[in-house]
Amino acid sequence: MIVRLNTDIAAGVLGLVFGALLWFPRADIGRLSIIFPRAILLVLTLISIALIVKGFIKPSGRQIEISGSPRRLVTVIIGFFLWWGLVEVLGFLLTTLLAFFALTWYLARVETVVTWQRMLTWTPVILVLVGVFYLTFKEVLNVRLPSGLFF
Amino acid sequence: MEMLLEALTALLTFESILTVLVGVSAGLFIGAMPGLTATMALAMLLPFTFSMEALQGLIALGAVYMGSIYGGAFTAILINTPGTPSSIATTFDGYPMARQGRAYEALAAATIASVVGGIVGVIFLLILAPPLARLAVAFGPSEMFWVAMLGLTLVASLSSDSLLKGLLGGCIGILLSTIGVSPVGGESRFTFGYPPLQGGIELIVALIGLFVIPELLTMAAEGRGALPGGSELRKKEVSIAKIAKHIFSKPANLIRSCLIGQVIAIIPGAGGNVTSLVAYNEARRFSKDPKSFGKGNVDGVVASESSNNVMVAGSMVPLLTLGIPGAPPDAIILGVLLMHGLRPGLDLFTQSGVLTNGFILSMGLAALMLLPVGLLGGRLIHRVVIRTPYYFLVPSIAMVTILGTFALRNSMLDVGIMLILGTAGYFLRLIGIQAAPIVLGLILGGIAEQGYVQTLMAAVVDPIPWLRLVSNPLSMVLAGLVVLGAATALVPMWLARKGLLDKVEEDSGGSS
Repeated sequence: MIVRLNTDIAAGVLGLVFGALLWFPRADIGRLSIIFPRAILLVLTLISIALIVKGFIKPSGRQIEISGSPRRLVTVIIGFFLWWGLVEVLGFLLTTLLAFFALTWYLARVETVVTWQRMLTWTPVILVLVGVFYLTFKEVLNVRLPSGLFF
Repeated sequence: MEMLLEALTALLTFESILTVLVGVSAGLFIGAMPGLTATMALAMLLPFTFSMEALQGLIALGAVYMGSIYGGAFTAILINTPGTPSSIATTFDGYPMARQGRAYEALAAATIASVVGGIVGVIFLLILAPPLARLAVAFGPSEMFWVAMLGLTLVASLSSDSLLKGLLGGCIGILLSTIGVSPVGGESRFTFGYPPLQGGIELIVALIGLFVIPELLTMAAEGRGALPGGSELRKKEVSIAKIAKHIFSKPANLIRSCLIGQVIAIIPGAGGNVTSLVAYNEARRFSKDPKSFGKGNVDGVVASESSNNVMVAGSMVPLLTLGIPGAPPDAIILGVLLMHGLRPGLDLFTQSGVLTNGFILSMGLAALMLLPVGLLGGRLIHRVVIRTPYYFLVPSIAMVTILGTFALRNSMLDVGIMLILGTAGYFLRLIGIQAAPIVLGLILGGIAEQGYVQTLMAAVVDPIPWLRLVSNPLSMVLAGLVVLGAATALVPMWLARKGLLDKVEEDSGGSS
């Protein structure tokens, strides 16, 4: 998908927004702690302004290209954040199994028709993959993975 | 010399060789997992060494260290994910090579470079430890500031599309490094009233987010795997002898990278990530074809991997002589030394000379062991990545990155930060802001800040405080190197923009 966008102006505006986000809370910070970030914020602002000016005078790119399916991109982003959000509620094991099945089913549909029989043949692979990593981290590496409501 | 021979005899036993083999394999496996660093690998193995004799314990730790630093190259090359921060620069050319079906070439080059780097580091450690250690203590805050600045000149090299966007990325990275408790003032900064942010953004969290998540999103959107299929791979596979010939026929890159690795390794605080980035930058700068860097030039992989493996033994110089860890994993080795009643300093080379030399030589053996273990392991991991359908690969990588990120500090917040940075990284890449300058800023921001603020604090009574940054010969030399580095990176860009470079190339092409 091609989107018309002046990338120089977009980058400059983004730099200014990011700078503003850090510029306003700086008043509460002591001199020793702010001296370095303040210098960098100043440089960031100058670069951002230079990019915006360049965007008007001699822009480097007027469009961006999202390769592949934007719908799949957005779905996977939402999927990742849901995976993260549900870990604390359902526990790592259950959430990961659900997320793994859902993502595999959704992504495999690009290439082929995913029938229930096919999903059933994949089930042992997914269970072993998730199980091995879960047990390795929990039992061997002693990482206390979130247990949530279940286990 | 007697002690060295005695140490060699103690090392060449079945038990010691087996310890090195197991250590290198374990290190390689852990290093190849995104999120699990060499420091974590050593920390995880530490309890197993409690029951071992001092030499065996140190041999095991040295082997794991060597294996894990090398293991980071695997995922860097195969899925664009630096397994350890030391392999950041390996992704720049390793992954493009893999995408072109030259993954085995990149892996073999990384292996050869790592073996050479590891052995060179050990030789340096044996011969040059005392004089180099004396140089390391001369690095004060202002010198550290210039070392960080020297690393930041790399931003110019990494910004092939737009220097301004590269610099913007660098600034964003530096500012991200300032989130949390200030290293000098001790106050919380930019936490927005959210206490968990006081811990700051962990480097490896940002690293995984910015490198892995955009790649996963691209794979998902495009409906493709990390690498091309097997047929293309076999078509472009080259023999190990040919790769070795390529590396050794032009040894300048290897020698330069090893020297850079050693010099930076002895500076306390500058880890393998800084080492490999600086070596990569210099390889690009001195190359006859700098434009091919970042697009799959094997010399980039060689520079990064040789220098970061030199660092493994090289960073032991200040550790064994002064007790100052040259890199974070060294702190664990220091703990083991102290646990066995061994105090760094001259005694370590006299009273406990056999033990110390045995430990140093074992790292040389571990470096040699990388060759068989790495080449076999490399093929195995490579085949797994190639043959796994992308709809299994995407959730599998996502699961490992979530696990690895969480395991760093047992924090789901880190996982959230990783996902936010990764998603932002994907969209930033679309508008021309690459992940590499951001990561570079994040790594060097802390070092630069500490050096800058401490220097200005010391110069509080000076009429012009910042002049203290160039008040002694060493910092002047470093500042000069920064100017030189920036100039050699910027001048070719300026010439190319003016069209003068093409003219020179045409002229030379015509005359030859």
